[in-house]
Amino acid sequence: MNAAPDKSVAAGASAGTAPLLVARDLARHYRVSRGWFAPKATVRALDGVSFSLAPGKTLAVVGESGCGKSTLARALTLIETPTSGDLRIHGRDAADASARQALRRDVQMVFQNPYSALNPRKTIASTLAEPLVINTPLNRAERRERIEALAAKVGLRQEHLQRYPHMFSGGQRQRIAIARAMVMQPGIVVADEPTSALDLSIQAQILNLFMDLQEEFGTGYVFISHNLAVVEHVADEVMVMYLGRVVEHGDKRRVFAHPLHPYTRALISATPALRPADRRQRIRIHGELPSPLKPPTGCAFHQRCPMAIARCAEVRPELREVDGRLVACDVL
Amino acid sequence: MLEIRDLRVRFGAFPAVDGVDLDVAPGEVLGIVGESGSGKSVSMMALMGLIDPPGQVNAAALRFQGQDLLGMSASQRRRLIGKDVAMVFQDALASLNPSYTVGHQLEEVLRTHLGLRGAAARQRAKELLEQVEIPDAASRLKAYPHELSGGMNQRVMIALAIACSPKLLIADEPTTALDVTIQAQIMDLLLRLQREQGMALVMITHDLAVVAEMAQRVAVMYAGQVVETGPLPEVFEAPKHPYTAALMAAIPEHNRGARRLQALPGIVPGALDRPTGCLFSPRCARVQPHCREARPDVVEGVRCFYPLIEESVA
Repeated sequence: MNAAPDKSVAAGASAGTAPLLVARDLARHYRVSRGWFAPKATVRALDGVSFSLAPGKTLAVVGESGCGKSTLARALTLIETPTSGDLRIHGRDAADASARQALRRDVQMVFQNPYSALNPRKTIASTLAEPLVINTPLNRAERRERIEALAAKVGLRQEHLQRYPHMFSGGQRQRIAIARAMVMQPGIVVADEPTSALDLSIQAQILNLFMDLQEEFGTGYVFISHNLAVVEHVADEVMVMYLGRVVEHGDKRRVFAHPLHPYTRALISATPALRPADRRQRIRIHGELPSPLKPPTGCAFHQRCPMAIARCAEVRPELREVDGRLVACDVL
Repeated sequence: MLEIRDLRVRFGAFPAVDGVDLDVAPGEVLGIVGESGSGKSVSMMALMGLIDPPGQVNAAALRFQGQDLLGMSASQRRRLIGKDVAMVFQDALASLNPSYTVGHQLEEVLRTHLGLRGAAARQRAKELLEQVEIPDAASRLKAYPHELSGGMNQRVMIALAIACSPKLLIADEPTTALDVTIQAQIMDLLLRLQREQGMALVMITHDLAVVAEMAQRVAVMYAGQVVETGPLPEVFEAPKHPYTAALMAAIPEHNRGARRLQALPGIVPGALDRPTGCLFSPRCARVQPHCREARPDVVEGVRCFYPLIEESVA
């Protein structure tokens, strides 16, 4: 629909290893009704996003509500078909129906709320066994062996396996949800705000678990979060989104040490810091996210941007390389 | 101005708040931090008289500006609270009445507590919305809560809370449900109002960084008790209680460059596994045999037999 120039090679993607996942110009548009007689409107929830993910690496997707990060998660896990664009997993086209089933096994998801993500009527053992029953020829004893080994890795005890989800705390449930995602030994795990429902001391336990599992299995993570402190800790690469589009994408250290896009800067400066030394000059941005039904012309951020010039209201900036990362801003 | 002594709230056998002492001075910003179930919200709800049976509230003293809240009847307390003490909650949309316009709800408060009616009430309602920086205030008076965004609803809640120029504003996780940039706007707004009106502000939150940026003093709660109180940034820079120290150590910001975070093992004790000794003893890295037998009292702002001295996690 809209032809963005080809920017599929993400900044900082490690060369040499074949990427697990390559997304090119991925878009998901929704047609929404605005009343009985009004013509339907189009919401561009995801509008031309390109990146690649290497094994054992973590790509963090950052943005506020409505930026399209959850739509991206649904597209990557093949829950939703993209409106346009190209998604390749292990080099195979995800749009290909014959490959889809196999690829689905290789992309697993961990959700934000561990209270609603587990079936309350199933024991932990049967929740963990279900993917194996459906997808593998393993027999009962082999399944049990695999589940017990995995349970130990995520910090669950043997006797936990016969219990039901309501008998666990939020942190324990998130461990179970992670075990369920890992049971098929997927190449890619998409985690959508996996620690934001958890307390601080539990958050640290779960983040450590994510890091340990990645080290052991070489899993690639797409880690979606609005918590920049968490992102700075887990990510290799950061992709900042605003209203369905990527505004800045690059190596974590570069982006955090020296953010370039005015929105990235505002986001980092708005995040409260514990130590006075870490506090940055606050860049105030006014107003709220514009309606996705009526996105602004030109740059989607220009109405709130402290650096906006007249041109920003007219021309939509495309991603271009500045200082070793991709930035969509023409004022820089 | 506010004095709480030995506040206890029980739900059945479970002590949600287990002997809390707190003081708030006029015009100060106090942060109360703790994880879920630490009793930070319940203790403030108890102060406001918002705990319904079967919850039981007891305290040795509960005084606001010298007036004893315990001895008051429910209606006397209600007249005081809502005018001089106001509260803002986390979920603004759920706290506003969905069937009335924002203007109606503001005018109701102004009528009940200040006796303002008609055009005067409408004018004041508009001024309040302007004070909380809602653009186009006059037309927003006619809006219903569902027509406004989360950030706007939180501003409306704050407008309701400051309608009677309270002397104390209690904000219970006011920014938790909001995006970072909106959170920054609401934090600035609360601090500006606090300064301009000279009111005291109690910020309840689980986010240590929010407290670090806003508050002058902090009370750290664990399992229904205040485990450490003191001025900021001193408490966060050199925590004396092992729980405060462990919380600080678990924060990603303090683990820059490290692959693993220093996680605090275990979880907060529940109704059935409350230890007889220090409530933190099962998770404490510095636990001694004595800690498992007796519960420590607060000494110099720290509830610990073996507080950390001259150690810094920063």
